[in-house]
Amino acid sequence: MSLKYESQLREPLVYGNKTYHQVTEDIIRPIEAKPSKLWYIGFYIAVALLLFGVYSIYREVTYGIGQWNLNKTIGWGWDITNFVWWVGIGHAGTLISAILLLFRQGWRTGVNRAAEAMTIFAVMCAGQFPIWHMGRVWMAFFVMPYPNSRGPLWVNFNSPLLWDVFAISTYFTVSLLFWYSGLIPDFATVRDRAKTKLRKHLYGIASFGWTGSTKHWQRHESLSLVLAGLSTPLVLSVHTIVSFDFATSVIPGWHTTIFPPYFVAGAVFSGFAMVQSLMIIVRKVFGMEDYVTMGHIEAMNKVIVLTGSIVGIAYLTELFMGWYSQNKYEGYTFWYSRANLFSPYGWSYWGMMACNVLSPQIFWSRKMRRNLYVTFFMSVIVNIGMWFERFVIIVTSIYRDYLPSSWSVYYSPSTWEIGFYLGSFGLFFTCFFLFAKYMPVIAVAEIKYVLKISGESYKDDMASIENKDAEQFGHEMAHAH
Amino acid sequence: MASIREQFEIPSKMKTWAYALIGVGVVSFAIGLFTKGMGTEEEKAIFLGTIMYNTIFWTLVCNASMFFLCATTMAWAGWPAAFRRIPEAISTMVPIFGSITLVVLLYAVFSHNPHIYHWSIDSVVANDPILKGKSGFLNVKFFTIWSLLAVGLWSFFGYRMRQLSSMADDAALGGMTGAQFIKQNTVRAATFLVWFGLTVGSTIHWLWMMSLDAHWYSTMYSWYNFASTFVSGMALIALWLIYMKNKGYMEYATNEHLHDIAKFMFAFSIFWTYLWFSQYMLIWYSNQPEEIIYFKHRVQGPYKGIFFLNLIINFVCPVIILMKRSSKRNYTLVTFMAVLIIFGHWIDYYQEVMGSISKNHVTLGWFDFGILSFFVGVMIFGVSKALASKPLVPKYHPFLKESIIHHT
Repeated sequence: MSLKYESQLREPLVYGNKTYHQVTEDIIRPIEAKPSKLWYIGFYIAVALLLFGVYSIYREVTYGIGQWNLNKTIGWGWDITNFVWWVGIGHAGTLISAILLLFRQGWRTGVNRAAEAMTIFAVMCAGQFPIWHMGRVWMAFFVMPYPNSRGPLWVNFNSPLLWDVFAISTYFTVSLLFWYSGLIPDFATVRDRAKTKLRKHLYGIASFGWTGSTKHWQRHESLSLVLAGLSTPLVLSVHTIVSFDFATSVIPGWHTTIFPPYFVAGAVFSGFAMVQSLMIIVRKVFGMEDYVTMGHIEAMNKVIVLTGSIVGIAYLTELFMGWYSQNKYEGYTFWYSRANLFSPYGWSYWGMMACNVLSPQIFWSRKMRRNLYVTFFMSVIVNIGMWFERFVIIVTSIYRDYLPSSWSVYYSPSTWEIGFYLGSFGLFFTCFFLFAKYMPVIAVAEIKYVLKISGESYKDDMASIENKDAEQFGHEMAHAH
Repeated sequence: MASIREQFEIPSKMKTWAYALIGVGVVSFAIGLFTKGMGTEEEKAIFLGTIMYNTIFWTLVCNASMFFLCATTMAWAGWPAAFRRIPEAISTMVPIFGSITLVVLLYAVFSHNPHIYHWSIDSVVANDPILKGKSGFLNVKFFTIWSLLAVGLWSFFGYRMRQLSSMADDAALGGMTGAQFIKQNTVRAATFLVWFGLTVGSTIHWLWMMSLDAHWYSTMYSWYNFASTFVSGMALIALWLIYMKNKGYMEYATNEHLHDIAKFMFAFSIFWTYLWFSQYMLIWYSNQPEEIIYFKHRVQGPYKGIFFLNLIINFVCPVIILMKRSSKRNYTLVTFMAVLIIFGHWIDYYQEVMGSISKNHVTLGWFDFGILSFFVGVMIFGVSKALASKPLVPKYHPFLKESIIHHT
């Protein structure tokens, strides 16, 4: 008897009577086929958005930051809100591939590839905002600390904005490596099945001469573990440092010690919501319901209700401390600028509370967790809520600062600010469409890894173990070694 | 086929040890009562404060066992089934330690000692606009009701979880199918966790400990202390598991299970440090008087040594020693680290509570260790009793077979 056993109470991770070959067929076929009409429509819309974004940035670079409605008081507006929002979304992928790998969560195999890809694209989008916000973007290389001829003009190592540069670029590099190293065996599979010379050649280059030998697998697995170990602290550090951008300051509503873990929880929350939005579409379009099952979707909804509740505790903690501190500036920010629905930006605070804390509670119900429409709707709601969160944090804290004479008028974005944001969607989806066309959206090799333990037909074969006495089972297992 | 040893018999040596430790504790308490407890208000505060941080610490560390069970239940984890009777047994201490905590805290709040909860003194509050502003939260009535509710509901929800677990000793599973049994478990675990979030995850540490410095506040405070007690709780589970293995029990729990528990000890030591750093760095960086006052005497004053010892024991040691796979599977090393981690976080609680009560001098001495010995003694006594009262393996737990073949 082998060690392959899993409780029948767990749903299969792969449905149907699948063989290894069948798995390859199901997942690789979309790459070999011509893209559907739907794909082209989506892709062109994404490219159009991207072009609009490029034009918006062109305006901003040519005419200056004045193209945006920022002012001296509200120096950070949509740009930094969008930056934090995208970075947050870029957290789920590495959490799934690294932390869930360390936790030995088999269900990660169905979604990790797409989530990792999404992470990389989201971080690319995030990076645009601080870069173009610099205004004189041709000076961007000033953020690199190297011996230079600019005299005392040197990076400020005390600034969390600089730590961001290091944190995000490290995170991006490691995530990219992680994603790519997972892709190598799958690229080799595409190469080996290729019918055209060009495809064979290109995927051959991409797969670095992978042969699938034991030695290759051995190295691949140790590399995965090393990268997982490296990226686990990175998942926490990136959003921690993003939270430092605010929390190290003495601005009411920003300077609070709970920010780092609460930002991380919020990031995971929004990242999972984005994975849901994308995977619900991908599984439908590519017919991959056997691999991204309701079980996967339910598991992710559980993460959403968990992280949403953690974020909820953090919101309430902050709100409570706004009062408990008896600090009138904190009190003003939390109880007037935010929690008061009738203050200028009160709507954004309540939008955030409704989308992030209240509505995800619906997922306590199993029925709701397993409802595709509800899940899709909620995944969008969560990301709207997380956008509000960043907007609330940034704008409601700074629009009325310590000096009433410098209080700002109502801030709303200009066309080019909105255009830039839309452009980032264009970039994200252009990349995602290309990814979905040219790369296996599900990790073929990893699905094969869980297939014989968690595949439906294989689980049926182990049904007889279920009623076996535990003691007898333990005895047999001890002798099987 | 040799069957497994299901029934724990408490070795007489263990009983002797437990009685001896309790004896040392009781004698220390008596001597302390006469040497400190009858003196000035400050001496009384030190006497009471010492008992206070011990009892809060042990209540929450034992409660962390129930948190572990509930969190793994919600995650549908199979692997703890083989040893879950250990955290269950540890969690039976919550009502006992919780009652002691309640007695001590209520005594502290009703005795109106100015060195402990000075917000409990009406005349002080009347002349302090900040405390007056906080009195909606920091008042004797709310403190009493909320503390009673916290301890009462942790105990009750914990009892409900254990009660359900006992049903897995019988093939009938209390008339439920395996799926219903797991569902029932998740419902009860969720109830516990929600209450846990509202207490340990937020309010309880503000009330019990942060209010010792009633003017000071930090939003991180409760999460930080949660991490402290959780990692100590994992260490305590590891200690009991190793003890039981050495006595020849818990056959199904192998090195693989120990390895995973030690991973938790490793990971949450780092997590604790992360929260420590986030709290400390943000306060240090902004350098605002009303915030740094908390750290001033801890970092630069008499508590300096303990402050850095705290970091070395709770961060440097676990990271270096528990990093390797082989050390997480080594009984001696894990035992050593578990004792060190529990001691380290006990020291952390010491500096958090006593650093606020006795700001000018460090009081750590025989009395602290005497009281500690009482709690360790009671814990050994109580947990061994609880272990002996039930079969050690929930034979019909739906995930037991997964746990038997668990491979990390």
